[in-house]
Amino acid sequence: MRLLLALLACATMLPAQWLNLPTRGVPRTKDGKPNLSAPAPRAANGKPDFSGIWALEHPPCPPEGCGDYLGGPEFLNMGVHLPGGLPYQPWAAELVKKRSADQGRDDPVAQCLPSGVVRILTFPPPRKIVQTPEEIVILSERDVTFRQIHTDGRPLPVDPSPSFNGFSVGKWEGDTLVVQTIGLRDTWIDRNGSPITEAAKLTERFRRVNYGRLEIELTVDDPKAYTKPWTVTLKQEIVLNTELLDYYCNDNEKDAQHVSAK
Amino acid sequence: MGRTWWGSEKPPVYNFPRMKPTVLLWVILLIACGTLSAQWLKIPTPGIPRTPDGKPDLSAPAPKTAEGKPDVSGLWQPAPGYVENVAKDLKPEDVPMRPWAQMLYQHRRDTLSKEDPTGWCNPGGVPRSDAVPYPFKIVPAAGGGEMMILYEAVHSYRQVFMDGRALPKDPNPNWLGYSVGRYEDGALVVESSGFVENSWLDNGGHPGTESLHVTERFKRKDFGHMDIEVTIDDPKTYTKPWTVTIPLKLMPDTELLEYICTENNKDLEHLVGK
Repeated sequence: MRLLLALLACATMLPAQWLNLPTRGVPRTKDGKPNLSAPAPRAANGKPDFSGIWALEHPPCPPEGCGDYLGGPEFLNMGVHLPGGLPYQPWAAELVKKRSADQGRDDPVAQCLPSGVVRILTFPPPRKIVQTPEEIVILSERDVTFRQIHTDGRPLPVDPSPSFNGFSVGKWEGDTLVVQTIGLRDTWIDRNGSPITEAAKLTERFRRVNYGRLEIELTVDDPKAYTKPWTVTLKQEIVLNTELLDYYCNDNEKDAQHVSAK
Repeated sequence: MGRTWWGSEKPPVYNFPRMKPTVLLWVILLIACGTLSAQWLKIPTPGIPRTPDGKPDLSAPAPKTAEGKPDVSGLWQPAPGYVENVAKDLKPEDVPMRPWAQMLYQHRRDTLSKEDPTGWCNPGGVPRSDAVPYPFKIVPAAGGGEMMILYEAVHSYRQVFMDGRALPKDPNPNWLGYSVGRYEDGALVVESSGFVENSWLDNGGHPGTESLHVTERFKRKDFGHMDIEVTIDDPKTYTKPWTVTIPLKLMPDTELLEYICTENNKDLEHLVGK
């Protein structure tokens, strides 16, 4: 744990410098405070607009206040809210045990590799969704990287090059955007080291509950790594009056030399 | 059809024997970094004009946005050569470096760019990221918000704020700066500042500093062709602003690939200077 904290501390230097930019178009209560329970805004085409800067919901802060690298529990363990945890195949359970014993030494992000399709939604630094009629782009503060979700009606490719973010297409079902993703490569989906393999098919249901909340119901169907499909809901909270910062993992990178098993 | 590289169905073929050592170094670097990019995607781009035989009609008129503004969105690839020397079309006297900058540029040339920050997988910066041979995608601003430029190289992005805000006065310096955009005379004009002190404007190492201000005028000529007129104004480095034009071609029926520079990075061991 101490090593993990040291690792996180290394990574937090840039995000500690916040920009102060008033977010435009925030609904407000009569006393002028942001009205986070106001209805979800809509885009020009009438669809709910997911645009905004989002952070994974985190537990209440201790009395001494929150640190500046707030993570939701799914960042550490994607199955934290599932009874019995994630339904690992035996080899995957062994692998997670080993990765945890190694204190996450081989975590790809410690080598500045992409957080990937799932962890781009759970990393403590925030993410920004920018929505256009043709595609939704998720911009990640961590490592200044991005993920595209195509909403222009294109089909999923038949045999895409495996990649960390995969290939995602989205279709509207009422006010919910249903996103299908394939073409993933083997990587980690949480800090514990839960795996995802090339066999994985992901379904995400994006729903903006109100102005302040976005819920992403994620179903992972990866029979190679899990005995059955599983579903978790990643609850995101809006982050106001700031902008993404430039968190370049490779810039003066010092993590790798500190990452070691006990 | 896969990706078309400036009139060829294949990626650029480099002529090793005639190559200068610096260019050779960059080819090694590009190959080392570009292993993923060798797998072309073939994905029909919806909504592009096509000739009767179904091929993309790249000479169709340039599109407009719903508001009637120039639409510069799409997947674009810069013409070769500018990434090595962004000033390749100019005479040396058109790029008047101050003495310290001339010395630094000469040092970077003499050491074969071995201190290039992109060797450590940092982003290229502006205008270098507009000139690398990998494509980038311009995603238009929706509702007057941000326009995004998604770069295949290093899998990074720029946000261009289109809501009329001013450039920040004293931002944290970063590799890709801060950008605001507006439409002017049929072009999309992007102004950027807030860059790091040790910018490399190209692989050759034309220097840029925190006083760098870049103006990019995106001028789409027809559906498949666009110029970026880039003006470099960095009074700490150059005695006067200078302007270059980088031609771009649209890349139809493909998508960005994941170019993960950090993965199996072999650059550093080759960046040895002379």
